[in-house]
Amino acid sequence: MIRLSGRFRSSLIIGGQGIRARKMRTFLSMISLFLGVLAVVTVQAGSVIAQRALLSDIEISQGKDGTLQMYLPSNPQAVPITMDLIQGREDVAGVTTGKAIIGEPGVKPINEGGGPLDGNGGAYRGPMMTCDASGQCRELEDPNEGAPSGQAIELSMKAVTGDILQFRPFRLESGDWLDSSSTPSLSPRIVLNTKAAEGFAKYKIPAEMRVEGALANTTPRIIGVVNDGSWGPAAYIRSDELLNWMPVDSLSDPRYGGSMELMLAPSTTADLQQTLKSRLTAAGMNPDELHVRTINSLKEMQSQLSLMRWIFLGMAALVLLIGVAGILNVGLATVGERIEEFALRRAVGTPRLLLAGIVLAETLLTGLLTAAAAIGFGAAALKAVSMVLGSREPFLQNVAFPWEAGVAGVLAGLIAGILGGLIPAIRAARIPIATVMRA
Amino acid sequence: MTPLISITGLTKTLKGQGEPRTILAGADLTLHSGESIAILGRSGSGKSTLLSLIGLFDRADGGQYLLNGNDITRIPERKAAALRSEEFGFVFQRFFLLKHLSAVQNVSMALVNGQGWLPRRKRKAKAMEALERVGIGHLAKHKPPRLSGGEQQRVAIARALVRDPKILLADEPTGALDTETGNLVVEALRSATDRGCGLILVTHDHDHAAKMGKVMQLTNGVFENSNQRVVV
Repeated sequence: MIRLSGRFRSSLIIGGQGIRARKMRTFLSMISLFLGVLAVVTVQAGSVIAQRALLSDIEISQGKDGTLQMYLPSNPQAVPITMDLIQGREDVAGVTTGKAIIGEPGVKPINEGGGPLDGNGGAYRGPMMTCDASGQCRELEDPNEGAPSGQAIELSMKAVTGDILQFRPFRLESGDWLDSSSTPSLSPRIVLNTKAAEGFAKYKIPAEMRVEGALANTTPRIIGVVNDGSWGPAAYIRSDELLNWMPVDSLSDPRYGGSMELMLAPSTTADLQQTLKSRLTAAGMNPDELHVRTINSLKEMQSQLSLMRWIFLGMAALVLLIGVAGILNVGLATVGERIEEFALRRAVGTPRLLLAGIVLAETLLTGLLTAAAAIGFGAAALKAVSMVLGSREPFLQNVAFPWEAGVAGVLAGLIAGILGGLIPAIRAARIPIATVMRA
Repeated sequence: MTPLISITGLTKTLKGQGEPRTILAGADLTLHSGESIAILGRSGSGKSTLLSLIGLFDRADGGQYLLNGNDITRIPERKAAALRSEEFGFVFQRFFLLKHLSAVQNVSMALVNGQGWLPRRKRKAKAMEALERVGIGHLAKHKPPRLSGGEQQRVAIARALVRDPKILLADEPTGALDTETGNLVVEALRSATDRGCGLILVTHDHDHAAKMGKVMQLTNGVFENSNQRVVV
């Protein structure tokens, strides 16, 4: 152990002396390696940040991996049966999606059809349609026909039963999320998504809410804003608060929207699914339309991203290879130049292995120093990019330098040091003392 | 008393691209503790080859090499490196000092060879002691380019002595020095025998050879005669 420690220390001391003695040469060999390691660090950091951003968006818009998802067909009985069954359960959440208009009463909304509010927004301007299970579609009467234009916004009204955040971790931008533990209020509390909030900020809308199928218009209380990853304006409301103002079967009304999405935790028993299917089938729904699918978007996305990451890492490895060639070139030249030093060291008792270790220690130290410089530069650059572009690109706000990129940089530096130093180390160990030291 | 070195019938043939060339054709030599031997001979007579075999830089093709009574004729390189560190000190015609290190660092480099470990302070103390022994302790911080030839060679002698070797091998150490400086260097080498160190000096200089206890003439790979004289 002491012997090994002595050899290790010896190689580090002599390696350090070698680097100090040839600072400029070491610096020059570091330049190409720096670019190579920086390429690896950048690719790794970029892919990790992109993956985090993409996966986080996927989770909020599609749901966490493993979540069981079920879309109920449009049927007057579907929502009442389902809500009755899932009431009070913590492992299930349901969302019925309908339409609501918030703003001046009796006017055409600014974004008729519920499209995005920025610019023309690609809002749907055609007639409203509904389709039944057999695929037969028919035009619905326009509820706003003949109404004058005014200050109102049409949005998706999502009535929530249960804890949806456990399946879709919406990012709370401000205020609070819906508190399902309190008594349902007659003044419905709603949480806007960011698109709707932007619309409300832009157009000074009076807060009266018109929901298709509701018995009366209500005055909602906006309690928070979330990023739900959707492209159009939407508002979330407790279903029990909405049901204070509309009969439950209206939630299945095609004019309201009529669809319900059910999210179940992976641990949910098959009994619940079976009971639900049985009751819905008994209510006249086609059992073939009752599918439960498992969300695997994260896994699918990860495999696509990892393929891209490997392609980019391959390109970065090529750049790194140039850096390795640089170290190798300098290493071979240095061994040729230091042939007398190495022969002398062998003459005074330095074993061949240690001599190889000295050369490797120099290239490894060079590799690690370069890696440290590249990682530091990468982290600083990311910080600067985050500060400059963070306000425009939300995913860059307060983004931390991924540890995976640091590890990749250190590994790249180590590998480059070993690859670049191996051949010079072998050559140094093979230097014949007798030939070199002859008078 | 067991001799430090006992060599019998040592042979060495160089095999290159052309005809094999016999460098040593059966050299015999014995060195005791505190003894000094000068080896004289013309260029190509095999002096340096013999020294490289004695110093375990290379291995003999035939004969026997006993070090402290142990046969090391076919010793593997790993053990040879340890013996070079423990038993031998080397001084060469070209001083082989590392230009980027100071005199004291050049001496202590012999202590950083992976054969045991000394803390930095002890290394420096030993290196300073060795420099003092050859009379240039005051030049410890100077780098080789700022030292004269004689001073550089004395740094090299200090490097050879720093591990307290039992045997000192010097291959034409005065070859690059003027006569007066050469005398100082030879005296520094010879004084090591006062402490029980054996010395083998390869030289072309008969005056320097005359200062050794024994003078041996190597001709065509064999010793012709030996002139044994004890230096008082």
